[in-house]
Amino acid sequence: MGVARLWSSTPVRLSLALVALFAVMSFASLTATYFIIRQPLEQNLRDTLNQEMAGFGAVPSATALAALVRSQSEVTEPQKRIISYRLPGGLVVGNAAILADHEGYRAVSLTPGGGDIQGEFFTLTKVLHGGLMTIAISAEPVAQLRRIFTRVFLFSLFPTTLVALGGALLLARRAQRRFDRLERALNRLAQGEFGARVGPIGGVRDDLSRIAERVDAMADELESKVAALRQVSADIAHDLKTPVQRLSVQLERLAATPGLPAPAIELAERARAESEAMIRTFHALLQIAQIEGGQPRARFARVDLASLAATFCEVYEPSAEETGHRLIAAPSPVPSPVPVQGDKDLLGQLFANLIENALRHTPAGTEIRVETGLDAEGPFLSVSDTGPGIPEAEREAVFRRLYRLESSRTTPGSGLGLSLVRAIADLHDARIELSDNRPGLKVVIRFPPPPPAA
Amino acid sequence: MLRAGDLEMDLIRRRVTRAGQEIDLLPREFALLEHLLRHKGRVQTRTMLLEAVWDISFDPQTNVVETHVSRLRAKVDKPFDRDLIKTVRGAGYMIEA
Repeated sequence: MGVARLWSSTPVRLSLALVALFAVMSFASLTATYFIIRQPLEQNLRDTLNQEMAGFGAVPSATALAALVRSQSEVTEPQKRIISYRLPGGLVVGNAAILADHEGYRAVSLTPGGGDIQGEFFTLTKVLHGGLMTIAISAEPVAQLRRIFTRVFLFSLFPTTLVALGGALLLARRAQRRFDRLERALNRLAQGEFGARVGPIGGVRDDLSRIAERVDAMADELESKVAALRQVSADIAHDLKTPVQRLSVQLERLAATPGLPAPAIELAERARAESEAMIRTFHALLQIAQIEGGQPRARFARVDLASLAATFCEVYEPSAEETGHRLIAAPSPVPSPVPVQGDKDLLGQLFANLIENALRHTPAGTEIRVETGLDAEGPFLSVSDTGPGIPEAEREAVFRRLYRLESSRTTPGSGLGLSLVRAIADLHDARIELSDNRPGLKVVIRFPPPPPAA
Repeated sequence: MLRAGDLEMDLIRRRVTRAGQEIDLLPREFALLEHLLRHKGRVQTRTMLLEAVWDISFDPQTNVVETHVSRLRAKVDKPFDRDLIKTVRGAGYMIEA
């Protein structure tokens, strides 16, 4: 499964969202706990500061205070407690690094560059005897608390998030397999394979399995509707074919009536030709319906494409000569057998349709090459011409029933030739490739390899 | 030996003569004529001819069979004053008994 596909799958997205939500909630609760614990700790530090400040406030004068600060500074450990006093005259005693210009609490961070003391401190500054007295005590307990919480975060939240993520992806993959079954069946249905079903998708009975059941029920309905529609069109074609055939015979008799003026004969002949074209269309429609019904598969046998191609080239050779085309069978003269499993008559019809198509839609002088062979992908046949070709945008559309290229509206033909080719190829599980022959059209039909000869 | 009018087909030596004159035929032309001679007096449809001569059964949209018959006629009938191979309109071809 590619990363892009993984990302676009609903179960994976849902599980990722859940993990993210879990991580955010855990982070928020940890942060809240940290601040709740920190609060009394900080209050403690402030109380200590206030007590100390009260002690210094008891000193009677500024000079006495300066002397006290100086002597105390020498004995206290600067990492734990720092004091400084700025006399009203501007002279500073004690450690100047923590000096402040106004009263109040502050949190300061002393960096190693700023002197020999470093670390975080809480300070209290107060006006005493006209000067500014500042006391700082180490904020180490708070810093330690922060370090502990950071560690808790790293050692608990990270692993739990990872485990949750792994579990979520595992569950998502299981759900994904069921989604994939559903998607595959829907894809096949969308491609017109109305027999495709999702089937049991495993797991507990949940919304997904209910959707699968509904899809299958829908496919059943669709299949029977399409089958009914096909039956109706086949019935119509069949019912209309017989009267049109009778019409054709009657028109022929009319044309042969003695004493009929030449223009009347001509008219009857033209009408008969039209009715013949109608019969051919009905016939092709019926044939497609029959092939799509899948019954001919029962008649499958081993067929040699190479000899079939040679026969059809021979059959069409005089017709090609008449219209000024060059029909070439390749490889020649003695082709090696190209066996496929199939219906010989239908495969012959396929050759006939492809050759007739090439003869009909290319100008005189065009070379038509019929080739069969075996390559790495299996047996194939190809009919290529050096005619005008089919624009790339229309290559898929030409297989549609009754579809005709704009350029060939005026040439005879039912627009069913290639639909029949497609129906026959589908029946044989063969793949049709239309490509540019530079110039012209190249039709390649690739067959699955036949089962080994008995 | 198959006969129709002044035409004679020697199946063993694979030779065709008409009015004593030898006619050169390609193998498929020979097979086509042989089939028509063997079914003398009966109409042979295009489908029947395709099956008998080429062993294929399909539904041609163009006049494939006509072109083969006209080639055969060019050799068998054209040089002579009477046409042996008759077209039965809308049905097929036959050689009259």
